[in-house]
Amino acid sequence: MFSKNSVLALLVSVVGCALLYIALEGSILVALAVLVLALGLMVVGERTGKVDLVCRSVSDHKRISLAVVSVFILILPFMISNNYLLHVAVMGGIYSIVTLGLNFQIGTGMVNFATAAFFGTGAYTSALMATKFGLSPWLTTILGMVSAASLGILFGFPALKTRGYYLSLITMSLQVIFTLMIINTSWLGGPNGVPGVPAYSIGDVSLRMPLAIFGLDLPYQANYLYLVFILLGLTVFAALCLHNSRTGLAWNSIEQDEIVAITQGINLTKMKLLAFALGAAFAGLAGGLYGHYTSFIGVEDFTFSKSLVFICMVLLGGIDNPFGVVLGALMLTIVDEKLRDFADYRMLMYSLILIVILLLRPQGLLPKRIRQYQAANKMREAKAWFSLKGERSSP
Amino acid sequence: MNVMYTEALTINFGGLKAVDAVDFNIKDEVIGLLGPNGSGKTTFLNLVSGIYKPTSGRIMFEQSDITGVGPNVVRKKGIARTFQTNRLCLDLSIIDNLLLGLYSQQTATWWQAIFQPKRCSRELSQGIDKCLEILHHFNPALVSRAYEPINAIPLIDRRRIEIARSIVGSPRLLLLDEPTAGLNAEETSQIISDIGKIRNGNQKISMIIIEHDMVVISSICHRVVVLNAGKKIADDCFDEVCKNEQVCKAYLGG
Repeated sequence: MFSKNSVLALLVSVVGCALLYIALEGSILVALAVLVLALGLMVVGERTGKVDLVCRSVSDHKRISLAVVSVFILILPFMISNNYLLHVAVMGGIYSIVTLGLNFQIGTGMVNFATAAFFGTGAYTSALMATKFGLSPWLTTILGMVSAASLGILFGFPALKTRGYYLSLITMSLQVIFTLMIINTSWLGGPNGVPGVPAYSIGDVSLRMPLAIFGLDLPYQANYLYLVFILLGLTVFAALCLHNSRTGLAWNSIEQDEIVAITQGINLTKMKLLAFALGAAFAGLAGGLYGHYTSFIGVEDFTFSKSLVFICMVLLGGIDNPFGVVLGALMLTIVDEKLRDFADYRMLMYSLILIVILLLRPQGLLPKRIRQYQAANKMREAKAWFSLKGERSSP
Repeated sequence: MNVMYTEALTINFGGLKAVDAVDFNIKDEVIGLLGPNGSGKTTFLNLVSGIYKPTSGRIMFEQSDITGVGPNVVRKKGIARTFQTNRLCLDLSIIDNLLLGLYSQQTATWWQAIFQPKRCSRELSQGIDKCLEILHHFNPALVSRAYEPINAIPLIDRRRIEIARSIVGSPRLLLLDEPTAGLNAEETSQIISDIGKIRNGNQKISMIIIEHDMVVISSICHRVVVLNAGKKIADDCFDEVCKNEQVCKAYLGG
């Protein structure tokens, strides 16, 4: 029942959640200390080969880890000392969804500098549909996803004629066009943004009302925390399914060698467009959530520098590892918010931290791993079968 | 019955005719493609596998015209190939590289991957079984290393994995571009016996092999086609080709 591995999975999940909590609650120094500690643990783990054991335990006992994380999210609003930190956690969740989408593109070898534009497309579509046409925010969020994905496809067709640096340059230009278009179109709110974006509501209950559980009044951010992390859970699940499927393998092979990919029967255009469309859809979903959560969106949330931050989150977390990019997004969101103490020097400090981390560990916090198919157990059986066959055929 | 044939296949690179009006046909057999350096052998394979589009001429494969279609469509129709320099995805495991070879046979879409995971995992585990079987066929020792990245595998095994990747999807025609390049004599004979095993199995695979080692050519090829400066100069069994005046001239000069 309680094997050594299940206890290990439990322990790792609890420690991971606790570290995130400490980073969220503590000062900037504490957050950085947690980051350094996590890095140190990873390095030691890799040297001694313990990381493989931990990963295997967690993947063999997914339910335990899932339960621990769910409980952690559920009780987080009760443990946290102020609403602002809860807001940081919600933003971390929203950014995680964006980076999961961006990860599809980077995993296919396309570094997309227009993620904030897709994020913004979702946010603006959703916010404008809700404010101007009075549609339900749930519906408009889906429309936001669809419009971001459509933009991804529309934009992908000409962009995918190029590759590498040239593709990145084109995505940069899309990002710049997006920002300028928003500023110069008064119907889209122009430089003033879109105020008064309605909140989600379930029945008559708006999610912007404080949540009362067990006689305790939780701030409204708790509603959004639950909503965002449920959606994050679903998107992580989808990203993992894709990663372990034929689609994910095709994306990786395109990143490694396009000629090999195409001679194995992979339609490069189709798969690259898919990475663009799905990544944009994730960003669009996150954009919709963002608009209906903050009730105000402005163009400064969707600029080029935001796109750079998203790329940094993926690089820091670990390209092509869904858990890694979520961790990267959460850590960078926390560090970024903690750096508000530095006021004018905030971006300087932020960049310094990034440079140091990427110098020390270019592969990211949780680097990509060899796919361990669920058939891993089957392989042990297969080995036994083959050795049996070998014995029989030998004289 | 021809598996594949070309009619007056030509490609120009600027003023250079790299392949010049080549008529070629292959039945259920192994054909050795010979010729001095720069005679257009690899270009010919690139044309057949769809990497280059011909300037003129026709390529027919199993009664359908595949002239000018993309490499991914060519692979789906049943023509697989290997490369002269090893081209495996170095960061991926052996099993992932082999699964890539099955890509054209599998059907799971991204939608099914998310919403019908059961169906996909069934397809995946069938694929894994097939890959492990092929791997065992080539080198039993590799089965236990199936989850290691290619980075950690020696050259000879990489070559085997590349050949295994090209046949795991049961192609009808296999194009091997110098499968023994860079290997020593002992490794060469191992690879050649591996290739022989493919034909001895019950799969019906026709092959075109580019090879410089005449011993290899004479031992496994039913027929030899010789190219020189893009033109076909001989097409016969090995012994006859050896006596061919034009071939001797192309190889030895004078």
